[in-house]
Amino acid sequence: MIKLNVNGQAREVDADPATPILWVVRENLKMPGTKYGCGIAQCGACTVHLDGKPIRSCSTPVSAAEGKAITTIEGIASEDGTLHKIQQAWIEAQVPQCGYCQSGQIMAATALLEKNPQPTDAQIDAAMAGNVCRCGMYGRIRDAIKSAADIKQPSKVEA
Amino acid sequence: MGKWSRRAFIGAGVVAGGALVVGVAVRPGNPTEKLKPFVANGDGEQLINSWVKIAPDNVVTAIVPHAEMGQGAHSVLAQMLADELDADWDKVEILEAPGLPSYAGADMVREFLAPTLEVPKILEPTAQGGFLTLADMISIGVTGGSFSIRGAGQRSIRTAGAAARQMLIAAAAEKWDVPAEEITTENSMLSHKTSGQSATYGEFAAAAAEQSLPAKPPRKAVGDFKLMGKPIPRKDIPAKVDGTASFGIDVEIEGMKYAAVKAPPVVGASVEQINAETAQSMPGVLQILNMGNFVAVIADGYWQAQQALNTVEATYSEAEGGDIDHDAIFARYAAALDDAGKDGGDIETETGDAVNAIAEAAQIIKAEYKVPFLAHATMEPMNCTARVMDGQCDLWLGSQNPLGVRREVAEALGIDEDSVNLENQYLGGGFGRRSNTDVPIMAARLAKAAGYPIKMIWSREEDTTQDFYRPSATSRFEAGLDAEGNLVAWDNIHVHLFDPSEAPKINHYAIPNKLIRKIDVPMHLRFGPWRSVDHSQQAWFIESFVDEVAAETGKDPLALRRLLLADTPRHLAVLDKVAEMANWGSPLPEGHGRGIAFVPGFNSVVAQVAEVDMTGKKPRVTKVFCCTDVGFAMNPDGVIAQIESGIVYGLTAALYGEITVKDGAVQQSNFHDYEMLRINEMPEVSVALINGDHDRIGGAGEPGLPPIAPAVTNAIFAATGKRVRELPVAKYDFAGSET
Amino acid sequence: MLKFIRMVALPSLFVLAACGTDPAPGPVEQIIVREPGAAPVETAVASAPTDSNPASSLVAEGKAAFANCSACHSLEQDAPHGAGPNLFGIIDKAAGEASGFAYSDALKASGVIWAEAELDSFIADPAAKIPGTTMVAGAIAEPAKRQAVIAYIASVTAN
Repeated sequence: MIKLNVNGQAREVDADPATPILWVVRENLKMPGTKYGCGIAQCGACTVHLDGKPIRSCSTPVSAAEGKAITTIEGIASEDGTLHKIQQAWIEAQVPQCGYCQSGQIMAATALLEKNPQPTDAQIDAAMAGNVCRCGMYGRIRDAIKSAADIKQPSKVEA
Repeated sequence: MGKWSRRAFIGAGVVAGGALVVGVAVRPGNPTEKLKPFVANGDGEQLINSWVKIAPDNVVTAIVPHAEMGQGAHSVLAQMLADELDADWDKVEILEAPGLPSYAGADMVREFLAPTLEVPKILEPTAQGGFLTLADMISIGVTGGSFSIRGAGQRSIRTAGAAARQMLIAAAAEKWDVPAEEITTENSMLSHKTSGQSATYGEFAAAAAEQSLPAKPPRKAVGDFKLMGKPIPRKDIPAKVDGTASFGIDVEIEGMKYAAVKAPPVVGASVEQINAETAQSMPGVLQILNMGNFVAVIADGYWQAQQALNTVEATYSEAEGGDIDHDAIFARYAAALDDAGKDGGDIETETGDAVNAIAEAAQIIKAEYKVPFLAHATMEPMNCTARVMDGQCDLWLGSQNPLGVRREVAEALGIDEDSVNLENQYLGGGFGRRSNTDVPIMAARLAKAAGYPIKMIWSREEDTTQDFYRPSATSRFEAGLDAEGNLVAWDNIHVHLFDPSEAPKINHYAIPNKLIRKIDVPMHLRFGPWRSVDHSQQAWFIESFVDEVAAETGKDPLALRRLLLADTPRHLAVLDKVAEMANWGSPLPEGHGRGIAFVPGFNSVVAQVAEVDMTGKKPRVTKVFCCTDVGFAMNPDGVIAQIESGIVYGLTAALYGEITVKDGAVQQSNFHDYEMLRINEMPEVSVALINGDHDRIGGAGEPGLPPIAPAVTNAIFAATGKRVRELPVAKYDFAGSET
Repeated sequence: MLKFIRMVALPSLFVLAACGTDPAPGPVEQIIVREPGAAPVETAVASAPTDSNPASSLVAEGKAAFANCSACHSLEQDAPHGAGPNLFGIIDKAAGEASGFAYSDALKASGVIWAEAELDSFIADPAAKIPGTTMVAGAIAEPAKRQAVIAYIASVTAN
């Protein structure tokens, strides 16, 4: 049995210690919000936080999480259900299309703002370049991060 | 997204083969009765007609016949229905229609049929044999062709909303004993002013269902729209920011185990021998199967299955194409084009006498272009969950083609089509890939062999190497110019034509003599529709060559296109708008360039200007301006999002996209060697919309893509004087010599 | 070990598989290791004939574990590089010298010779061993598993 702390809760799982965190979270813990995209840390769809740092859960064995705190997309809203400001900004800017990469994008963005509440464009690039969005919503992701950081409102639709 | 009750699915056999909904959803004798068991869940809800149901608590459910893959179809179709129904948008829910012929995309088939009696290639595998009857084709519910809004939405869903509203009014008029014309509707409420009576839609839902269906209910004029034409936030987005949106890969079925699969590297080969000694002793492993055309490992967890599969050694049969590589493919194209000469191949368009006009031309310009195979690379790798028990097959996946899946899975299992049920999930990207049926067939066969439910997940490597690719192609052009430098003749021959047939024809450009031909060259790789399909390569060929003609004749690229579009004001308006947005003609810094492209398609009109910075190690696209006329933008923010998305998808392919073949097998495997555009390379994108034709609206998902590649390569030419004649741009070294 | 193999004749129609439909309904070969829910087979490796030799058992274990590494690294002679370099013959070679792979400056400048002990400490924590390496995934925490993987890497030689 491996002892984990996931979204603030103590959990025990019966898994090979080498199993990537991604599959433990999805299959053993039945939290499918974290996504499989590439399996080799190239696309960021599987991003979760390990002690607050964004990591690629597809390539990090669950043994590396023992004694540390895992946070997934299911764990970033407040306990009363209020969405994280990044999630709110994502809705406001209508960021997701297919939505598959968005858990990872949001986890990367929340970690960025945690570390750097007022990121520059270059810092946004550096923090988010590991997350692929095949629907190409990078412009909206950038706007939404700035909006959540109170830097600039996302551009409004002009019809 | 709403969920189908299990109970409803058990009744699947009853309505199969029911009446088709053609043209409009609502007409006398519509299939409402037959569809009731599928969409009403028995809690007092009333099915008003095939596309809408209203519950006693006044919740209106829009039943939408298309898959949601990020294009916003679910939400925008509901928006259209709710507007015609005067429904309270906050109380509108969405349910995807079941995969039944009654909900099939008849509109899509009709549109493709209308001009040429042509069947879209994506539909062919689902039709039987080579003889395609209209009946065969209509029983196909495909989400593709940028068709959801202009097809089902415009023709069926709006009418359904208007009809439901009339039925509610008629029911209230009967009960209140007042003239129907005096009843008004707003926010899912019925009111009669003079008598002071009012009621919710829910209160009258039961009575409305008893009313006869109006044959042709009047629909709102554009001026009366309350929701249509407005940037209403999409209803699927909240679930996509909190991790609760359920994609195919997230499905959880009782007793389900996980399968990892590997097909032979050369498509079409079969698996001869497997050595699974290591795999058999690995943790979690339940079964190892040689399924003939692929190897599978079933385990307690997906990772365990994939780890074990990685140790299975397999030998494969010799297969056609097993000796071919990248260069040989293009050599084959060149030989076929040489053989076709001046009069071979199939004529796609012939106007005037291009051959003669070129022979007599004062100046002849020639060019040849090449594009590679492309994979779709949806973010969600292919997957399907299947349960096959007691002659019944249940499937859970994200599909653009649920009816085709049902038919082909039934055929593969040797069971009746009515015994196959499909619960469509959100698609983690479609782009055409999820219109193929290979994945659910594999999953269904595995579940049958295993004896318990299976969730099959493809690794990214499998997803990249076993795709249905955008074809590679070569296209050759000759242009003839008269003594004044006017473009008077256009001769083009290219390999492959997939869909749609409009792609190579340049009907929009006024050129008096045109000869456009194609030749088919057999290829063992599987081809499939890839976002914007043939427009993705044809637009690049055409708009590159137009640019070359402009350069050779000393014309400004915008001016030449304006000349060729002089007689089509709607087209010209789009072109002029983008030129204005980009401040065309204004000076740029040294090493920067600006390129333009104009591509109509899917009944929409799109022009783009790209700016590139060539001063760094590799080309950097800094800005993209786009003007789009989709006729009428039902949800302007949705259209803009789709155009932005098409630009990035097309730019990724233009800069990096290339699938190569060695010994018949695809060489790329994952995102490290099939590169994606990332946020640090994202240009600033500005999109302007023109609503140029309210009555005949066009698509949005695909038409944003085709202009970007030529706009970028034309900009590279403007900046460097170097013409890109082979994609991707990454093949070129702009600092040194071409590679 | 519960093992059951079913053979099914291969239908001749099979060559049509390339056209998209798949007319081979059943498996050609089906190895059932165990039924769902049945207890996992106890270290089945031990029952296989080759496992009387502890060294080859270690190699077999390493081969299975290398599956995770193979997402990025090939171990086949002359096979192309992946996200990481081909590791064929890596033991005792100087770091950063396989031709055709774009190593990080850090790795090239490391001066490391890949003796087994060096590989061991690198795989345990690549970024700690060579700060700046682009190997961001695939660290193996368990010493026994690292030994097995290294034994497997060393076992693959030209023949």
